[in-house]
Amino acid sequence: MLGKLLKYEIPAMGRKLLPLYAAWAATALFLGLTTQSADSKTEFMVVISALLYTAVATAIFVMTIILIVQRYSNSLLGDEAYFNHVLPVSVSAHIGNKAISATLWVFVTVLVAILTAILIGIGAVIVAGQGFSLREMIHDLLSVEWPEHLGLYIIEVLIMVIASVVKTIMQIYAAVTIGHQAQNHTTLASIGAYIVILIFESMVGRMLLPLFAHTGYCDDGCLNFTMIFIPGVIVSIALSAVYFFICKYLMEKHLNLN
Amino acid sequence: MARIEINHVTKQFGSLTALDSVALKLEKGQIVGLLGPNGSGKTTLIKILNGLLQPTAGNVTINGMEPGVGTKRVVAYLPDRNALPDYMTASQLMDIYQDFFEDFDRQKAEAMVDDLGIDRRQAMKKMSKGTKEKLQLCLVMARQAEVYLLDEPIGGVDPATRDYILKTIISNYNEDAVVIISTHLISDVESVLDDVVFLKEGKVVLHQAADEIREEKGESVDKLFREVFKC
Repeated sequence: MLGKLLKYEIPAMGRKLLPLYAAWAATALFLGLTTQSADSKTEFMVVISALLYTAVATAIFVMTIILIVQRYSNSLLGDEAYFNHVLPVSVSAHIGNKAISATLWVFVTVLVAILTAILIGIGAVIVAGQGFSLREMIHDLLSVEWPEHLGLYIIEVLIMVIASVVKTIMQIYAAVTIGHQAQNHTTLASIGAYIVILIFESMVGRMLLPLFAHTGYCDDGCLNFTMIFIPGVIVSIALSAVYFFICKYLMEKHLNLN
Repeated sequence: MARIEINHVTKQFGSLTALDSVALKLEKGQIVGLLGPNGSGKTTLIKILNGLLQPTAGNVTINGMEPGVGTKRVVAYLPDRNALPDYMTASQLMDIYQDFFEDFDRQKAEAMVDDLGIDRRQAMKKMSKGTKEKLQLCLVMARQAEVYLLDEPIGGVDPATRDYILKTIISNYNEDAVVIISTHLISDVESVLDDVVFLKEGKVVLHQAADEIREEKGESVDKLFREVFKC
């Protein structure tokens, strides 16, 4: 059933974000083109295109967060919950569906941000008359001498970022679900719950820090990234699980749609 | 075992008691009118049967199961509001129903949607309030469910559509199912009801077969309702 839920959830977020991505790409290309061709007369165009790019980028990041909250809140605790909660689907599948889809779109947003940066470069290269060759760019990248174990570090960083994003999303979901236990002023209650969760996390961090304080260094005093990475990921996964079970418990035992 | 058992269900919202020890057993093969004025607890009871609200005390079972994934497979629910994603077209909504409900009959849904002149390619948000209600009802009634919970199915539609809806309910329901219709528009639904439940301030004040009411009391359900709930 999770697959079926994702089939509808992923496009539901995409229909809001995809047009924004297109606008973002267009402003990036425009910025690249104006940056290179600008002289004293057209300098204002650079300012305008830079402002446009920043405005769209900000809008997309804000929109992504709003969508994550809205999709969860409307679908599982708002009007659409009257439909979603009568589907023959477990609460765990509903929460998992929202978390997977939200995580996916966060990473798509980050990927699009990287692509827009490349687009700015491409625009600049085109105007400079140098021509752009994807093959050449890949060749250049491959010919660089990368540090040893870079691939492993990238994988570790990626796992840590994914675990951290999932934890943040589950943190938001838990706050929204707790907030909806209040019969009135649910938004205010959700913000309050979020603050309490942040305090809780900071307390957990303080308690755990002494346990891992010395594990991040090798015998010769160098920084051992892997030893920092492992506790970080474990803590994120554990907190995600705690938030997941809070949401699941409240939705199974205390769902009160009014 | 009755198809639906409501065992002394009480629901409180703060100091307000919406349902007060409601106890009912409803068998299959009948259309039940859950009747009462606004605020009498009809919607609350239907939400509890769907697991959308948790009772403060007591419990409900459908086919012996408490509300959960098992009951949701056999319960078709029409809420008192538009609960479907409004950016979707009628056709896309049928896709969802087909994906999630094994008992959904797509051909029947398409026939009903066409009968009511609903454009299958139109997004729900562009439909009128009445059309949205009609579409929701088509989707719900196109299921071969064992329990139909219809919360105010005729509240927001014109009289001609009311007739179509009631005809649809009668023709689509089977003898193995129980249909609960919650409404305060008694005269419109009276002709289709087998069983009647009057809810007043969260309490069951009457549970009787519609024919018995007419025979014993010599008056229509609508007239009796007006007497019981006289302001």
